[in-house]
Parts: sequence; structure tokens; C-alpha cells
Amino acid sequence: MKLADFQSLFQQRVLAGSGEADKPLLKKLRPSPRGAAPETLLDVYQTGYRIRLADFVSQDHPGLRAILGDEAFDALVDDYIDQCPSRDPNARWFTTGLPDFMRENARWRDDAAAVSMALFERAMVDAFDTADETPLTVQALAGFAPDDWARLAFEFDPSLTLLELVAGTIEAYGAAISEETPANVDKPAAGEHIEYAAVWRVDDESAYRQLEPDEYVALSEARAGHAFGDICQMAAFQQAGEIAPERLAQSLSSWFEDGMIIGVRVREDDDQASNTPSSA
Amino acid sequence: MEKPPPLGYGLGLRPIYYEEILSSRPPIDWFEIISENYMLAGGRPLAMLDRIRADYPVVMHGVSMSLASTDPLNFDYLRQLKALAERIQPAWVSDHVAWTGVHGVTLHDLLPIPYTRESLAHIVERIQRVQDFLKRRLVVENASTYVSFVDSEMSEHEFVREMAERADCLLLLDVNNVFVSSFNHGFDPVAFIDGVPADRVVQFHMAGHTNNETHRVDTHDQPVCDEVWALYEHARRRCGDVSAMIERDDNYPPLAELLDELQNMRDIDARISKERALSAA
Repeated sequence: MKLADFQSLFQQRVLAGSGEADKPLLKKLRPSPRGAAPETLLDVYQTGYRIRLADFVSQDHPGLRAILGDEAFDALVDDYIDQCPSRDPNARWFTTGLPDFMRENARWRDDAAAVSMALFERAMVDAFDTADETPLTVQALAGFAPDDWARLAFEFDPSLTLLELVAGTIEAYGAAISEETPANVDKPAAGEHIEYAAVWRVDDESAYRQLEPDEYVALSEARAGHAFGDICQMAAFQQAGEIAPERLAQSLSSWFEDGMIIGVRVREDDDQASNTPSSA
Repeated sequence: MEKPPPLGYGLGLRPIYYEEILSSRPPIDWFEIISENYMLAGGRPLAMLDRIRADYPVVMHGVSMSLASTDPLNFDYLRQLKALAERIQPAWVSDHVAWTGVHGVTLHDLLPIPYTRESLAHIVERIQRVQDFLKRRLVVENASTYVSFVDSEMSEHEFVREMAERADCLLLLDVNNVFVSSFNHGFDPVAFIDGVPADRVVQFHMAGHTNNETHRVDTHDQPVCDEVWALYEHARRRCGDVSAMIERDDNYPPLAELLDELQNMRDIDARISKERALSAA
């Protein structure tokens, strides 16, 4: 058997797990000098494969396991491993497709709370190792003339993700990762209620904060590149509630304090704004 | 054979030990990293690595090069690997006699091959291409295996020796892997060590494994067992002054227990040196 054919067969049997179809490969194995059944030895690879990938998902999604329970979580992981084999040599990226898989899969797409948690946890994982930038302090504003303030635009840390989640997602996540975790973490009730979150990295660790609706709108607009003055004006028409300039200035100050802002510039009239927030 | 100078006694760098290493500066001569864990855009892993690299020699050990795969070499992966090597300037870069997947899929495991002339020619050609791309000699490790194949035309150590000489690469001798595979397949581990070209061996791996009675599995979750220590002594007598280290990847003990294992290596090596000095006198 050519090496390529052997590898195709071996991989096929590892992906499928042990069963009758192993026979052609089992015939290729030398007998064990210790009396181990060939099925047992092949199963080291078959079982090891699933344990390894399931472990990657468990590490990245403690909140999802907590709200689904072990049985449903394991079923989800089995589905994901079966339908989305890893294609990146770096195991870091295996779990990144899980929320999309859930949204596209008939068995999981209607579980809005689970999808919401998966999106939140993916943002936490992504924030952990995005590119390094140096956050600015609010002192960075001192270098701009008061006349320019309305035209100031901000650049945000690349780790920042803005999320629209099922209400209760953030609290359930906090309970799941708490050292005093209760036996059961209540699954958020999916419905009309939503909550907003910012996820980013600060001091080398992923961080998150729930946002009020007005701050979410303002931060989304600022992240899209809109100038401070434009956001004030746009905010006045937001149905999420009016944002007074003072409230917006307060938010801006907290974005600096949180280490989210890495650049400030005076926006010219022909600058293009970009970026849109993610949502569950 | 020109080899990089030996680094002494090292440890596999794992996140659980970052803080203790940085705060207590334990007596560890060098660290080995799992390359893929640092092939990232930024964040804590790279920040920690930079701090540790400032004070210690580091070698890069990969698990995804898939040298024996019949898929094309993954140059996106190799470019990232090369960028990391340029950043941290490792003493060397290593990977395995193994494949991790075909048809674009990766199983995140070090999979076995039949030791055939075809496999040999295939892996030699790929090691040479990787060495050309990385512009450095690659260090290649013998993997643990649980199955062997009727199609094999030579022993594992014959395969490794021929591979190293034809590809002109260096070798990482995983002493635990030799023991695990020898147990599983019934070959003599001493003959394996005697059969590989000692002048190409630049590194030893030592680790624990799981004994399932009819087979042993390379789990890196236990202390090194007595049989593997005995084999280490033989490898040390044959290969001389080679950088040696402990791998631990699960069931992490206090760092002090791993330091004790490093001390055990030092004691064995001191005893061998003393014997040699006495016999030379």
C-alpha cells in the first residue's frame, strides 16, 4: 500500500472511531508481543483523538458546559468534532468555529442562550492572544486643542469585541468560572431581553464588562471611527435613550481607564468610518 | 558533525510554572517551548516567553510540522514558525518522525508510519525542504507508537539513522518514547539507542508514561519510571554531553518535583563522569 493510501485509510478510521470498518486497517497491523488486541491499540489513536479535541472545547467554553449540563455539552462537542474536523495545524484555532457551527446547525441554532454563551466565550479566547498594543491614558487628550474635540476619533485595542447577548449570559459566565461555582448554573432564558458586553484584554488577561445600552451604542460608533461630536449628535436620536454629552464624556473616560483606547486623532471630513459590532 | 553546544538540564515550559520561574529563578539551565503555543499575534504567552527568554536559552519544539504526511508542506505554518524563531532566537528547532493528518485535516496527534523505503525517501525530502526554508538544521524526534505495520521494511532505529544521515538533520532522542515503543512492539530499547547515530543527537527528552499492562501510552503525566532512568544512563554513556530535559504535560506536580528529576539526571551524569575519570587515571 502506498504511503498516501495508508494515511488516508488510517485517518479515516481515526475520524470515524472504532468499528467494523476498521478491519482493512487492522490487517495491516503487526500482532502485539504483549497480547494486546489490535483493536485496543488502534483505539489509542481513535479515542485519544476525540478526548484531545473535546478537551480543547472544554477549556475554552466553561460557561457553555455550565449552562448546557455535561450531557448536552458532550453531545454538542461530539457533533462539532464529527462535522468540523480541525484544519489548522495550531490547536488554538479548533474551537473558533463553534459558535458559527451552532448557529448553522439545526440541532443547536434555536438554543439562543447557548449560542450567546459560545459567542461570548469565543471573544474571551480571542482577546487573550490578539496583537499587542499600548493603551493610552486620558492624558492623551491634553495634546489636542479644545476646538478639535468634536472631531476627535479613537482607535481601539484590536482585542475589543462588542457583543449583543441573551440577557443573563454574562452573569452565568461569571458563575461558571467562579471558584465557588454552584452545582448548577442557571441557563439564561432566551427571549426579548438582551444585554450588551465589551470583551477586551487588559494587563495580559481577557476582561469583560456589561455595557448599558447607551454606552454600547456610543462605543460601537466610536469604534466605527465616528468623531466624538458626531456621536453626541447621533446619540441624541438613539432610541436606546439619549446620551447627554456629559454621559458620553464619562464613557470616554472609562474607555481610557479600561485600557481600550490605543489611538486618538482629529478626524478629517473625508475620513471613512468602519467596523460593526458582533451580535448573538 | 557540527552540533550546537549542550545547554545542560532543561524543562518543558508550561504556563502553570510561569510565575514561579520568574519569581524564584529555579536552577534550570534552559527551557523548551511547544512552538505552536507561542505562534500567536500577542498576549500573555508571548509576553511571558520574552521575559523568560531574556534570562534563559530556549529551544523550540513543534508538534504540527507533519514531516511524514503526504499532504503538501504547510508553508503558512512554516512561515509562522520561522517568524517565532526570528523573535526568540532558539538554540534549535525540533519536530517529530510523524504525520498529523492528510487532505487538509489535522488530528492533533503524532501518527505512526510504516518504516518503508517510500516513507524514508518522503520524509528525507521534506526535512531537507524545511531545513532550506528555515535556513537551519532541523532536530527530529522519535515518536511513541502503539501500532506497527506489516508493510515495514526496516526497524525504527534503522529508519531514524538513515533519515538523519540522508537528510543531514540532527536528532532529539526521546528516551521515554524509545522505552514505550520498545515495550509496545517488542524490540530491544538498548539496541535502538545503540543504532541511532550518536554524533547527531543534540537533545534527550525524559517523561513519564501510563502502563496499561498490555501496552504503554506516552502521557507525560507521571514521574519518569525506573526503567526509563536506566535507559537514560545508557543513552548518556553512548551520546555523551547532550542537553537533557523533563517533559510534563498533565497532572502537574509542584515545580520542586520536576527539579528533583533534573537533579537525578545531574547525579547520573556526575557518576558517569566520575567513573570515566577513574578509568582514565
